[in-house]
Amino acid sequence: MLSKIARFEFFYQLKSPVFWVSSIVFFGMAFGSVASSRIHIGAGGNTNINAPFAIVITLLVMSVFSLFLIAAFVANVIVRDDDTGYGPIIRSTRVTKFDYLFGRFTGAFLASALAFASVPLGLFAGIHVPWIDHEQLGPIVVEHYVIAYLVYALPTLFMASAILFAVSAIVRSMTLTYMGVIVLFIVYGISSQWLSDLKNESFAALFDPFGLGAVSLVTKYWTASDRNTMLPAIDGIVAQNRLLWIGVSFVLLWLGFALYRFTDRGVRRSSAKAEKDLGAATFVPVSVSPRFDAAALRAQAWKSTRFEMGQVMRSPAFFILLLLGIANTVSSVWVGTSIDDWMLLPVTRLMIRDISNAFSIAPVLIAAYYAGELVWRERERKSHELFGATPTPDWVFVAPKILAIALVLLLTLLVSVGVGIGVQVVRGYTLFELEKYVNWYVVPTFISFLQLAILAVFLQSLSPHKYIGWGLMGLYIVARSVISSLGFEHKLYLFGSTPGVPLSDMNGQGYFWIGRSWLELYWSAIALFLVLVSFAVWPRGTEVRYGPRFARLWRRLSGPAGTAIAASLTVAAVTGGWIYYNTNVLNEYRTTDQVEKLFGDGERALIQYLDKPQPRVIGTVLNIALYPADGRAVTTGDYLIENRTAAPLTEVHFDLPADANFKVLDIDGAHLAKTFKAYNYRIYSFDTPMAVGEKRHIRFTTELWQKGFKNSGNQTSILENGTFLNNMDISPVIGISRRSFLQDPAARRRQGLPAQLRMPKLEDKTAGGNSYLRPDSDWVSSDITLSTVADQTPIAPGYVMSDVTKDGRRTVHFRSDSPIQNFYSIQSARYAVKKETADGIDYSVYYHPQHATNVDLMMSVMKTSIGLYSKAFGPYQFRQARIMEFPAIATFAQSFANTIAYSEDIGFLQDSAALKTDPTKIDMVTFVTAHEIAHQWWAHQVLGADVQGSTMLSESFASYSALLTMEQIYGPEQVRKFLAQQRDKYLQGRLGETVEELPLMRVENQPYIHYYKGAMIMYRLKTELGVDVVNGALKKLVERFKFVTAPYPRTTDFLEILKTDSGPGHEELFADLFEKITLYDLKALSVKSTKRADGKFDVAIEIEAKKFHADGKGKETESPMTEAVPVGAFLVDPSDPKFDRKQVLSYEMKAIRTGKQTVTLVTDKAPKFVSVDPYSIWIDRELKDNTISADAPAS
Amino acid sequence: MISSVCPYHALLIQFAAATGYKSGLILHFGGFMLVIEGVTQVYRGGVMALNDVNIEIKPGLFGLLGPNGAGKSTLMRTIATLQAPSKGNIHFGDIDVIRTPDLLRRVLGYLPQDFGVYPRVSAYAMLDHMAILKGIADGKERRQLVETLLRQTNLWAVRNKAIAGFSGGMRQRYGIAQALIGKPQLLIVDEPTAGLDPEERNRFLNLLADVSQNVVVILSTHIVDDVAQLCSDMAIISKGHIVRQGAPAALTAELKGKVWRSFIDKSELDAAKGRHNVILSRLVGGRTLIHVVADSSPGEGFEPVTPDLEDVYFTALASTPKS
Repeated sequence: MLSKIARFEFFYQLKSPVFWVSSIVFFGMAFGSVASSRIHIGAGGNTNINAPFAIVITLLVMSVFSLFLIAAFVANVIVRDDDTGYGPIIRSTRVTKFDYLFGRFTGAFLASALAFASVPLGLFAGIHVPWIDHEQLGPIVVEHYVIAYLVYALPTLFMASAILFAVSAIVRSMTLTYMGVIVLFIVYGISSQWLSDLKNESFAALFDPFGLGAVSLVTKYWTASDRNTMLPAIDGIVAQNRLLWIGVSFVLLWLGFALYRFTDRGVRRSSAKAEKDLGAATFVPVSVSPRFDAAALRAQAWKSTRFEMGQVMRSPAFFILLLLGIANTVSSVWVGTSIDDWMLLPVTRLMIRDISNAFSIAPVLIAAYYAGELVWRERERKSHELFGATPTPDWVFVAPKILAIALVLLLTLLVSVGVGIGVQVVRGYTLFELEKYVNWYVVPTFISFLQLAILAVFLQSLSPHKYIGWGLMGLYIVARSVISSLGFEHKLYLFGSTPGVPLSDMNGQGYFWIGRSWLELYWSAIALFLVLVSFAVWPRGTEVRYGPRFARLWRRLSGPAGTAIAASLTVAAVTGGWIYYNTNVLNEYRTTDQVEKLFGDGERALIQYLDKPQPRVIGTVLNIALYPADGRAVTTGDYLIENRTAAPLTEVHFDLPADANFKVLDIDGAHLAKTFKAYNYRIYSFDTPMAVGEKRHIRFTTELWQKGFKNSGNQTSILENGTFLNNMDISPVIGISRRSFLQDPAARRRQGLPAQLRMPKLEDKTAGGNSYLRPDSDWVSSDITLSTVADQTPIAPGYVMSDVTKDGRRTVHFRSDSPIQNFYSIQSARYAVKKETADGIDYSVYYHPQHATNVDLMMSVMKTSIGLYSKAFGPYQFRQARIMEFPAIATFAQSFANTIAYSEDIGFLQDSAALKTDPTKIDMVTFVTAHEIAHQWWAHQVLGADVQGSTMLSESFASYSALLTMEQIYGPEQVRKFLAQQRDKYLQGRLGETVEELPLMRVENQPYIHYYKGAMIMYRLKTELGVDVVNGALKKLVERFKFVTAPYPRTTDFLEILKTDSGPGHEELFADLFEKITLYDLKALSVKSTKRADGKFDVAIEIEAKKFHADGKGKETESPMTEAVPVGAFLVDPSDPKFDRKQVLSYEMKAIRTGKQTVTLVTDKAPKFVSVDPYSIWIDRELKDNTISADAPAS
Repeated sequence: MISSVCPYHALLIQFAAATGYKSGLILHFGGFMLVIEGVTQVYRGGVMALNDVNIEIKPGLFGLLGPNGAGKSTLMRTIATLQAPSKGNIHFGDIDVIRTPDLLRRVLGYLPQDFGVYPRVSAYAMLDHMAILKGIADGKERRQLVETLLRQTNLWAVRNKAIAGFSGGMRQRYGIAQALIGKPQLLIVDEPTAGLDPEERNRFLNLLADVSQNVVVILSTHIVDDVAQLCSDMAIISKGHIVRQGAPAALTAELKGKVWRSFIDKSELDAAKGRHNVILSRLVGGRTLIHVVADSSPGEGFEPVTPDLEDVYFTALASTPKS
């Protein structure tokens, strides 16, 4: 019986449109994710499009979305008979409840499994399109698709079916089941956010019902090579996760079975039936007469709005959605201000940033869902005839529904503000800045919510059915996230899209709100048009046919509605035209594809000039006038250039900054010979060639001034308060460099360009004439006159020569006496300033008055680190050191000569008080400040040649130096959490590699290597050789290469010094650290403590060790290991926040070789924990197994 | 009758609409005539729900009689402005119902055949909402009206209960209460007696009769007795055609002397149908009673009967043109 029912159900579902539509949609999504060149799930970088890893991840991600599909199938099984009224007939047959439910469930599950099979099919079909990038395609293995489907997708589908089966058996309503899906969705989102923390990852992996967590955990550090060749093994956590959820599924099935009543539902009106049917009436007319004046209409509209709002707000679904929105917001705001391992102050701007991210999806769902409910409710409740026959104008049906949804959304918006304020209160932060909540968040968001409500109602009013309206709204939601990747990037295309407005406490909304306001006006006009169309075709009464509805459109539009429609179209046309004028006429509009093509064409045209000998800039004189309120900078400059080549030069080439308008660009004795306008490239010819050693001047005047607003990418350097200009934005660069060309290998292939132009090899002796910062300059002298408005402080490199305020403008003249990089910042803002002088150095921090919290800390770190580095590496070359805050439009800190530009969001907002109470957090202010100060040596004294390895000499050394500062302030035991974080970032970073992972000494400007791995390698070097040897070598490097020009230093220069100073016997160490990619697998297996006669303890620890070398694609080979590794015994786990120096019983270097071995420590007390490499100095992918707890000691 | 002076009233209505003046005054005069001319409703696929319907309806209770699926509800909805006909005109007094539905709705009360209400909304709140939609904007007046209506329809005790839980009779009383808001001049009630027990049905029909002074009340039904008891005028609709219209007494009189009856065996029924114009057959005490229409006695075993409305109805249905 069961099998017959299952069979019937299966074929019944196959005939339903849901089956076909969802199969096609899933096929399309899968196909698109592979065939499109821009959207990839699980692939990208060196991971192939058809990598088994990518297949598994795509299937798992899609299976999350399959909830919607499965809900349709499974809930239908339960709900269908109640809805059609066929239930009693079925239930009175001899079929048992078990056969009935599970037969149907089986059929529905098989149908959804078959529909979902379209995903692997789509993935497989997608790789066969002719335009596929064959470089990103691995061997085609059909088995991967089959196994991924059977092992990863099917259990998830089964689990999802079981959950929804139980849910729909309880609620017995299609709509509530869908609500259940949304709840699951959001709960899943929230919990994965909470659990994304490193501490919770194995817990998360086990309990993620979709298996994504488990697969992500086991593949966390998989290299491209692993991803391209292997499917995640079905053992360990993956197997546990799958088994756990299959078990849970059976429990849920049983639950659904138990809860399903196999009898008719009790008649709902039973309570009223008990009411005595009161006698009939005799009719006496009431003399109250209707009115149809304006006041009556207002009353109708307002009361209807309240009525509709009541309908939304009294429904249980609303509260569920709202609660989920709140939960999501709370978690996101918590997580947002404690990103990674540090804590930020909950300032209102950050609250707004996180709330608007978290609260973006719930309102869309509320709008979409309730538009369907409100528009169709009358029809569904069969009250449309009652209402349709009342003398209410048509618009009283339309407007209140829109208004009600919008007001409900406003309410959710205000609730989210309440959440933000609540989090601030809980965190003890009391500067609420309500005006920011209103102006930056509530007002613009409400406008977009109103438009959303209108769109949702419009789509519903045109749809023949509620579900189609929802589907259209779903398409719109999808379009919002994919339309720009399809090449439709203009804001005029997609309903409701506006340019983003970067927020900053310094700069407020800047001028960015202007473009947004125009687009808001444009979309509001179109929204008004949609309202009027909805009104005109509103399906009043029983009329659902399009013909009669469109026939009465003209009648409804005669009169004020018609005028309004004309007005809305006029406003849309005028504002649209104005926006187009701004984005496409005043400014240039290019899609990502067009920009990419421009780069491609530019490279083909200009590559002939690469490495062409050019004169060098040796002195710069700039006179810059900033007009912050206008976003304008006018620069007059004079470059002194010298021919430092061995031959006379006939031409000068300029690669000009794209946004600057060069009003004047003259060279002594030269004329403009050729211009590549599209690529901002000019060639000047000398009338008489420039002799060797000859010096000449280049004079230029530029204006940087964005007219109007752009579609995206508005200039962010000159702001009303908080200008941060790079000198390369306003002055010419001589010659073209490799870095002006496209970098992404896939983009290069799309443009038909040859493979990556890589950095010259470390051994390439023909290179090295340039530093890696600029191809056209060595160290330069600088003389900068900077003027700005009177109430701002202008800052440029150098010492203040004069400071004059006159006629509303403040002009400061700066000059440097030491040579600096031709790479510096120009800043201006209304700053508060803190100044101190120590040891002949003027220290200052320029900050936004509201952001004073960490100024003292920055000051003290500057002093500590300059003192430390001066002693370790040689003298500081300047008499001043300054930190300048800039708006949170960018999030970084950057070191220029004696000047550190520091984003609002880095450091200034660190919650340093919270750090003291939460030892798991890292003091990023100290680390970043120490790192940037270290750059005054590592980049501003010693700068690497433009060959492989160059950034090791600046970034790795700066991070190492910062670790020295951290160690001095916090002690070596506290460096562990920092190293653990660096390790994780390195291991994660190498997965995103698109070209080739290189050993540290050959790093090609790869951040995950030069920052994170660099810090670890240098720290390990210090652990093995001692701080004196390493710092001594660094000091010699400074002495030898300070301010040198060509040939610039290389990593080999440092390694030579190091090898000489460290003596023999370290060849393998240097090879492992610098020349190879080396990874370890260290494990503590067991421990035995024995009390000795003298009262001490012998602690015997069994350790297993392995060492691997990886190639550039991540392919690993094991290599024999014989090294000294630290082994320790502790009273507290070193990863515990309570861990400190007092908990260390023993910490010694012990010889460790490949395989298992036992080492013995002697301790005064019985250890609680033992660990191999307890401070995470070796690069080990699994850190947790390094430490184990110790048994009670055997006596 | 009064529709002849209607330019004046229509003018007043227009005036009221334009000025927002309370139009209550006009409604006291009442007595417009509803004229339906050539109304045809074609659904997708060429299904003719209404085929060239022409009726004139004077104030009073008008019965629209027809079997299920005859087009009654379509006609009622079309008059109630809920859907536009494919062809034809409808005027109420001087109101062009199709072109200016808003004007008709101001004098319209409508009780649909089947209506639902919202969950979690009480009878009071729902009636209050309807009153607002019908233009009773003044809060005090509205409260008074709603309370009176609830008392008159005997729903006062259950005013705070959700209508969703009402019995059939209570629901219909709520339905008529909402239809009566704003003192309609045209009251359309579509199959109101379906599902009511005989006592409830009687009370309901009496209530309609009360209301129908000076007001056009259209009662659609498939029950002959509903019409026979109270209606001053009626029409019979079948397969979209109006097959007979007039006063019930007149229509019955037309058949006088033409209806014959006979008791036959069940087995003889087919043969009888072949020979005679059998308009109805029913079992009475184990024998089959047939009514036959014929100008003279159809033969032995037949005796004349005094025709009633049922005979009129079935004769009309039997003569419906094939569509």
